[in-house]
Amino acid sequence: MLRLRRVLLVAAALLATGCAPRGDAVRAAAHGPLYFGDVTPPRANVLRYNNGAEPETIDPGLATGQPDGRLVRTLFEGLTVSDPRTLEPLPGQAYRWERSADGLTCTFHLRPGLRWSDGTPLTARDFVWSWLRVLRPETGAKYGGLLHPVAGAEAFNRGELKDEAKVGLAAPDESTLVVRLAQPTPYFLHLTSLPPCLPAPRHVVERWQERWTLPGHIVSNGAFVLATWRQNDRFELARNPRYWDAGHVRLDRVTAYSIEDLNTATNLYKAGALDWNTSGYVPSPFIPYLRAYSDFRSGPYQAVYFYSISVTRAPFDDVWVRRALNYAVDRNAIARDLLKGTREPWGNLTPRGYPDYRRPPGLSYDPEKARACLARAGYPGGKGFRRIAILFNTSEDHKRIAEAIQAMWTRVLGIPVELQNMEWGSYMQASTALQYDVARRSWIGDYLDPGTFLEIMRTGDGNNRTGWRDPRYDRLLRDAAVELDAARRMEQLAAAESLLLADGPVIPIYHYATAELVKPYVRGVHQNALDTHPLKDIWIDRGWRRGAPPLAGRATPEDRRSSIVRVAGTQPGFAGPPPAGGPRPRRAADGPPGTASR
Amino acid sequence: MTAFVLRRLLLFVPTLWVIATLTFFMVRLAPGGPFNAERDIPQAAREQLMRQYGLDRPLGEQYVTFLANAVRLDFGPSYKFPTRQVREIIAEGFRVSAELGGWALLVAVLLGVPIGVIAALRQNSALDAAAMAAALAGVSVPNFVLGPLLVLVFSLTLYWLPPALWQGPESRVLPVLTLATAYVAYVARLTRAGMLEVLRQDFIRTARAKGLPERRVVFQHALKLGVLPVVSYLGPAAAGLIMGSLVVEQIFAVPGLGRYLVNGAFNRDYTLVMGVVLFYAGFLMALNLLVDVAYAWLDPRVELR
Repeated sequence: MLRLRRVLLVAAALLATGCAPRGDAVRAAAHGPLYFGDVTPPRANVLRYNNGAEPETIDPGLATGQPDGRLVRTLFEGLTVSDPRTLEPLPGQAYRWERSADGLTCTFHLRPGLRWSDGTPLTARDFVWSWLRVLRPETGAKYGGLLHPVAGAEAFNRGELKDEAKVGLAAPDESTLVVRLAQPTPYFLHLTSLPPCLPAPRHVVERWQERWTLPGHIVSNGAFVLATWRQNDRFELARNPRYWDAGHVRLDRVTAYSIEDLNTATNLYKAGALDWNTSGYVPSPFIPYLRAYSDFRSGPYQAVYFYSISVTRAPFDDVWVRRALNYAVDRNAIARDLLKGTREPWGNLTPRGYPDYRRPPGLSYDPEKARACLARAGYPGGKGFRRIAILFNTSEDHKRIAEAIQAMWTRVLGIPVELQNMEWGSYMQASTALQYDVARRSWIGDYLDPGTFLEIMRTGDGNNRTGWRDPRYDRLLRDAAVELDAARRMEQLAAAESLLLADGPVIPIYHYATAELVKPYVRGVHQNALDTHPLKDIWIDRGWRRGAPPLAGRATPEDRRSSIVRVAGTQPGFAGPPPAGGPRPRRAADGPPGTASR
Repeated sequence: MTAFVLRRLLLFVPTLWVIATLTFFMVRLAPGGPFNAERDIPQAAREQLMRQYGLDRPLGEQYVTFLANAVRLDFGPSYKFPTRQVREIIAEGFRVSAELGGWALLVAVLLGVPIGVIAALRQNSALDAAAMAAALAGVSVPNFVLGPLLVLVFSLTLYWLPPALWQGPESRVLPVLTLATAYVAYVARLTRAGMLEVLRQDFIRTARAKGLPERRVVFQHALKLGVLPVVSYLGPAAAGLIMGSLVVEQIFAVPGLGRYLVNGAFNRDYTLVMGVVLFYAGFLMALNLLVDVAYAWLDPRVELR
């Protein structure tokens, strides 16, 4: 009875502290690295990870969400693959490529002897067909916009151009793909590893139509093939023996669980049923406690949390009102105090991590300036200002932040603010129709370029959702799109961002961070800004014993810095992007156990 | 009897029609649509999707098409999961939900009835008080508290059972217990009350007077009538267990049907919501019919007309 009571007491205490046994943390100080739960390496050479919410589809042409994308990029391989650390494009299905001097033509050379997992040869025509499939309006691909840099693609995707021969895609022979671009898109190579650019097997798609991705039908070209799938439960992947680099794939199988609940996923990780609980599935109240554990990792993630202002509504049509709201937000208080330092306060729309991009100075908290701006707009001390509402979709975190900002605006500006909570569908409807005052938003970048953020604020862009328009901003983006000189292009983008921040249709709040749990015996899960991890490079070190260092590395301040510096290719000791045509260099951390570099 | 069942089955048709009609118009009244996403969908793609699912047609026409298809149990593909037919999603999810609910129902009866009988036989004893206090606690603790507590003790502290996932017999234990506890408690209370009433009746006194052993009195004569309240409760209980397992499915990552109803509504997945609502409605009506029939069979005084 006494024992039972003790168990219950411990249980209650653990519940209260968010399941983080603090006693362990104290013990850790004495006994070396501390791990969250069971760290016995599995007996089988199988990676078990949480892929997150049930994917909507694993059709590369149609996939949009992160859980979808992670599986799609494991099953399929594009012309390039992204470097697991730097995200730099590395040779994938194409072993080399050339770019013309004007930047408008890209010629990709496919590896000889490429095959689909059913043995059918894979040729450059497969890429042409797959890309046109994504662009064809009848396909209804939601992510077709990523292929718009290709000449004629945008008009074809809109249904304005009917002749697919006029789209800048050609396969002069089986192993050559020539892509003509509409503009010298410097980040084009980054796009070629994203889901809409991955090849789909024409013979299978045409035979099974929308059901071609089911197990038994699906044929793919990546490191793994789909073996089984149970709805809302798991995907089982097996090694693809016909993959060109099959000899270097080290996992026999992969089990990708579809666990939606954050607590459940973290419990499974602690019990040792998951080797990797991916970012986004660690409950945020746990994070401050989990920092003590060596298998918890956190780093910057290319996403920004911001508020958008419906600028067509009075009084937000006045730039001084927007500036006042911006200056009155104390980002430090939100990120450091409210979110316990799990996020970085952020005053820009673009996140960190873009090589060569000099971000303009971000917006900061300045109550004096805020009051002055409001007075200049004609509301000294908030007098005569109408009651405004902060719109957010149902979530505990959104609510807490909205409450904090409500308090800041009331305190600093003296204006009446109310909260407006909606469930997801209604929130989407209201924010798209501009039926709001101030709305919670966030944006995740697709590729390593500031354009992936700045483009959304272009006049009339479907993601603008503020009604904000500025011809100078649009012109800067247009000029940047045709600029051949990379440095000048970055300057134009930075000018656009400073214009945007000065005009204040958005109120940046914090920079997202990844938070994941990786067992110390899992190797090759590297942190990067896009949180993309090719499973091909991951392996299970079954010889790992407690006390050995985790090879995958932890998030340390050094790591954070290097992930940015490395993109520029200046990290000492780093091989840099491989020369076009050269074989993919093997990295130390990919080598056999014991050759770790860290 | 046959006429009764037939008449009830015929009544299913108008009931389901009313439910279908109400649901159809209610989901469409909700703001937003199935193709509103945080990342905007290009206009051409949106129009194509609307065409593909017939959402560009007038609402009346959509309604007629929907009814015509629903009669053939064809709800079309889910909007959110376009590779799958709603029918397949329901079939696969329901198999799991039914297994979870079935085990929980079994546990509820196998534990609840004996507890109730013992409590009734030892009325006002310490045992009775303990059983009823436990039952009260069982009814009061919500499963979103009980589930994590069981996980904490049996999975994360003692490492006896897996904390979640639906694989192997050991994974069934915690979700079934979590789901069943409230029902065990309720069944125990019902059994106790039913037994107490029956044990006071004349025919029991007669049975005892003629010298029947207590065991036969209880099990052969009293129990059959004493569990009648439990039987009539089994219908709603089965419905609640099989359809109301949403929270438990979430906590234990059980791939059941429950979450589709909620997520379907959030995603404005019209076809999925319609399919799941109609399925649940039909299932509930069938269960109620079954209970009525069982009642007549157990208690000869009840006549079905």
